[in-house]
Amino acid sequence: MLSIRNISASYGRVAALSRVSLDAPAGAIIALLGANGAGKTTTLNCVSRLVNITEGEILFEGRRIDRLSSDEVVRLGIAQVPEGREIFARMSVRENLEIGAHVRRDRHGIAADLERVCGYFPVLRQRFAQDAGTLSGGEQQMLLIARALMARPRLLLLDEPSLGLSPLLVEQIFAIIRQLNQEGLTILVVEQNARLALAVSSYAYILENGEIAFEGPSAELAQNDRVRQAYLGG
Amino acid sequence: MMGDWQVYWLFLQQGIASGLVTGSIYALLAIAIVIIFKTTDAPNFAAGEIFMAGAYIALYLLIFSQIAYVIAVPVTLAITFVFSALFYRIVLRRIGVSPAVAVNVVIATLGLSFVLKGIVRNTGFGDVPRSFPAVFGADTVQIGDAVLTTQDVAVFALALLAMAIFFVFFNYTRTGRAMRAVGMNPRAAALVGIDLHKTRMLIWGLSGLLSALAAILIAPKILMTADMGIVVILGFAAAIVGGFTSLPGAVVGGLIIGIVENLVGLFVSTRAIVVAPFIVIMLVLAIRPQGLFGGPVVIKKV
Ligand SMILES: Nc1ncnc2c1ncn2[C@@H]1O[C@H](COP(=O)(O)OP(=O)(O)OP(=O)(O)O)[C@@H](O)[C@H]1O
Ligand SMILES: [Mg+2]
Repeated sequence: MLSIRNISASYGRVAALSRVSLDAPAGAIIALLGANGAGKTTTLNCVSRLVNITEGEILFEGRRIDRLSSDEVVRLGIAQVPEGREIFARMSVRENLEIGAHVRRDRHGIAADLERVCGYFPVLRQRFAQDAGTLSGGEQQMLLIARALMARPRLLLLDEPSLGLSPLLVEQIFAIIRQLNQEGLTILVVEQNARLALAVSSYAYILENGEIAFEGPSAELAQNDRVRQAYLGG
Repeated sequence: MMGDWQVYWLFLQQGIASGLVTGSIYALLAIAIVIIFKTTDAPNFAAGEIFMAGAYIALYLLIFSQIAYVIAVPVTLAITFVFSALFYRIVLRRIGVSPAVAVNVVIATLGLSFVLKGIVRNTGFGDVPRSFPAVFGADTVQIGDAVLTTQDVAVFALALLAMAIFFVFFNYTRTGRAMRAVGMNPRAAALVGIDLHKTRMLIWGLSGLLSALAAILIAPKILMTADMGIVVILGFAAAIVGGFTSLPGAVVGGLIIGIVENLVGLFVSTRAIVVAPFIVIMLVLAIRPQGLFGGPVVIKKV
């Protein structure tokens, strides 16, 4: 479904990615792991077209998307849940969700999806009229996932969904990630919590300094000695 | 004979009534300034000249082309909308919009201001001061003890109507919501699929339209010259008083500046009017450095 082929990217003179390749077949959960600054977010942002690639290509369902604008990528069916709580702080929770459906025009479908995403995260409905900026960190993370779902994506890019959340909340969120995947959504999840990501995904990539250092079926990577040492604490 | 307090009471009423009229124009200008500042990360230093150009376009259509008011006004608004939007599309989009290039954006808007002034000066329009025809008569209306002309009342009503339409559009339509989103968090806006360039282009167009409307409304009250854009300083003053990123603040700031100007003119001296807005700014900033409606001062983490 998503195919990243030999892409490189840089911020000014600082190289961030070099010849990264990654595949996310339809229906899978793929994990992208790596330490701080390895280039995980940059990879997702290349797909979402917030960062330009300097070489290589990115294909979505066989079609090149690395020259499109960020809104065209969303329209094609790729939504990103960004790291760092990128909400619209002074809009209500409801408006944050509705704006997630900005690229859509089907009023009835949007209303139905509003119900659907509140089914995953009932707490959001209780906060409907509140400014999103007043939500707790966990609630904001749920809002971000729900907002991305409002676009009706076929591919969901998740950037560190567990960051800063309590273990209980992390578990809840990952249960919903599994559920979404069972309902047919393809997911590419970036995580620093490698144990969790390897457990939920079928295939994983590990980035080191902007390059793919390891890749393989998640179960195998979890057994790999070097991966265990570097990412799973021995 | 009237006692002093009666005169003061009358002055107060008159100052507020006249102040609301001019203040509503400053409010329109402040809105035009704030929506650009919020989404372009730099002030538009051509705001005064876009205002001036709007007045001259309307004047040209009305006087030289003898086009009826009801057609000339919408045509003027449409021209300034398209012109401002194109300025974004052709010039600013190339520069890019981000805090990192704010200086370049400022230079581009300064360039535009010189170009517009130059055009008006050199095409013969700006050679002599001109006066703009008023639609409504100079008949007077008494409100309390204050006296306004029908023209003044109409100007105030139209400015309020324009602001009401703008607020409904901005708060309750899909495009308005996209504009707010781009101002609040451009990165998040891009991620939900909002076309940042298109949205900013529309904001520039809308800002130009509001400036031209303000120009048409106030032009009959002032003498038209190529330097009339100086009025927009009061729009900036209103925006600063309101916190520079708040739209309700822009409106309240505009009305306060208008009222204070008129009160100073009546109670102190008409020569003191020019300093009135700056005294208001200093007072407000001394008490609330972030402006009346500005949020708490946030130091952005890099
Ligand atoms: N906007 C930017 N400007 C300059 N350099 C950047 C920028 N964003 C990221 N970088 C650099 O690019 C490299 C990759 O960053 P990236 O954010 O993709 O890493 P990451 O794997 O997502 O890290 P983290 O786990 O901290 O989120 C880092 O060296 C980082 O310092
Ligand atoms: Mg990251």
